[in-house]
Amino acid sequence: MRSVYAKEMLIYFSSPIFYAVSFIFLCVLGIFFYNDMAYMSMLASRIAQYQLSTGLGLDKIVLRPLFSDMSILLLFIVPIIAMRLYSEEKGNGTIELIFTYPITDLQVLLGKYLAGLSVIAILLGITTVLMLLAGIVVSPDWGLVFSSYLGLFLVSASFLAIGVFASSLTKNQIIAAASSLGIILAFWAVGWFSDVFTASAVAKFLGELGIMEHLDDFMKGMLNVKDAVFYLLFSLFFLFMTLRILESHTWRG
Amino acid sequence: MIAVDGITKYYGPKLAIDGISFEVKQGEILGFLGPNGAGKSTTMKIITAFMPPTTGRVTVMGYDTVDDSLEVRKRTGYLPENNPLYTDMKVESFLRFVASAKNVKRKSIKASVDNVIMECGLEEVRGRIISRLSRGYRQRVGLAQALINDPPVLILDEPTIGLDPRQIYEIRQLIKDLSGSRSIILSSHILPEVSQLCDRVAIINRGKIVAIDTPSNLTAQLSDHRIIELLVGERMDDALDLVKGIEGVVSASRLNSHIVIETSRDMDIRPVIARKIVEAGIPLMELHAKEMSLEDIFMELVTEEEV
Repeated sequence: MRSVYAKEMLIYFSSPIFYAVSFIFLCVLGIFFYNDMAYMSMLASRIAQYQLSTGLGLDKIVLRPLFSDMSILLLFIVPIIAMRLYSEEKGNGTIELIFTYPITDLQVLLGKYLAGLSVIAILLGITTVLMLLAGIVVSPDWGLVFSSYLGLFLVSASFLAIGVFASSLTKNQIIAAASSLGIILAFWAVGWFSDVFTASAVAKFLGELGIMEHLDDFMKGMLNVKDAVFYLLFSLFFLFMTLRILESHTWRG
Repeated sequence: MIAVDGITKYYGPKLAIDGISFEVKQGEILGFLGPNGAGKSTTMKIITAFMPPTTGRVTVMGYDTVDDSLEVRKRTGYLPENNPLYTDMKVESFLRFVASAKNVKRKSIKASVDNVIMECGLEEVRGRIISRLSRGYRQRVGLAQALINDPPVLILDEPTIGLDPRQIYEIRQLIKDLSGSRSIILSSHILPEVSQLCDRVAIINRGKIVAIDTPSNLTAQLSDHRIIELLVGERMDDALDLVKGIEGVVSASRLNSHIVIETSRDMDIRPVIARKIVEAGIPLMELHAKEMSLEDIFMELVTEEEV
């Protein structure tokens, strides 16, 4: 497992995709951050001008929108991080090497998944610079920041599990990324049912399956065991499915 | 060391291997010879435990490739077809990865990497990125990854394909040096290579082993036909008809300016042919027997199957 992890990390950091994705992610996020901060400073000057007292502050105007923007960005970026994990090896044939080395499918999968998680953690880590910058102006609610990051990491872990699963299905990285994006969007959309059909039990159940629904509480600064468990089980399910797909190479054909 | 027992493999409804059995002893090099799509690579993929056979079983040093796949994989070095490599990695870091994936102890990883780098002549390129290497060097990297944990069994799928003559020579030399106490299976469609390198040759066609023996025995046993080439000055059609009528002639056909006559091995009918041609008044220019090379046998076996 450790050997596969080390190899994946090495390849991530020597491939241009990682740098391109990080660049775009951080740039877009920087623009959002700037906008929100500018908006807040505009509001702040108004508030000062008219001497209004509102409940508005850094957390509500800057941080919450920023975190929710981050979750949307991650939804697009994680499939790109995940797409190469198996598809690349299937495409260039190295899958034959790794499957004839004395390591189990599970060890390979965990090595790859943990490498993907590390890349996501690094990306999220870089964004904490924005929190520090905001902290220069007004001190943010660090509890909220922490729980939001935890939520983003957990939801990304679920995205990544879907991405790894899609990657194990095809040797084409584009198809892998597109189909994992499709699956993620489907699980996002499923969550809207509960908003529309509030009475139906089925809709409520589907609503619980919504991948973004479980992020809400984290973003409000609440740590719910229920939501954390949802993301863990969700990831485990797709990792398990991936393992099944990988095993099928031994009986297919 | 390697025992292949009646394996078949279906890809969907398509039969890729049809009841192949053979054994490879310690220190022996077995060559697979056959046209593309004959089932060479499929057989190798089954021996390396990459995929299981549909029926039959393969054991490597007593371990079953399906039930004890990990044990088999520990003892087997594999160079897959087209030599896939992690081309974004540097030679040395790739080999370090392979060493740790193959359970080489942490302390001895450096030593075993240095060892294969030396063995495969990769000193000059150890810090280079694999995608920037020449084909010859890449092939050596492929061999190096197969060798790194010093496995007793080596499976090499077309190790010299796409190399220039000098590189081919070097890789062959390397494989010869590697043999020693190892069992090696290699595939190729270059005949001289197989006859030079291998102790035994298995000719595979359409998923079956058509012949398996030492190169010299194959040449001796399987050429039960003698080829005679005849060149006449004129009236080639008459000569052809005449020859076809002679007893002991299996077939006769025109090949460019010659008439190629196939006869059974047990009798030499050259004097008969010469006399008949001369009697018919056809100017006899040339008449000689042609030894069958491994290549002829190969062609014969492979085309015979297709008829």
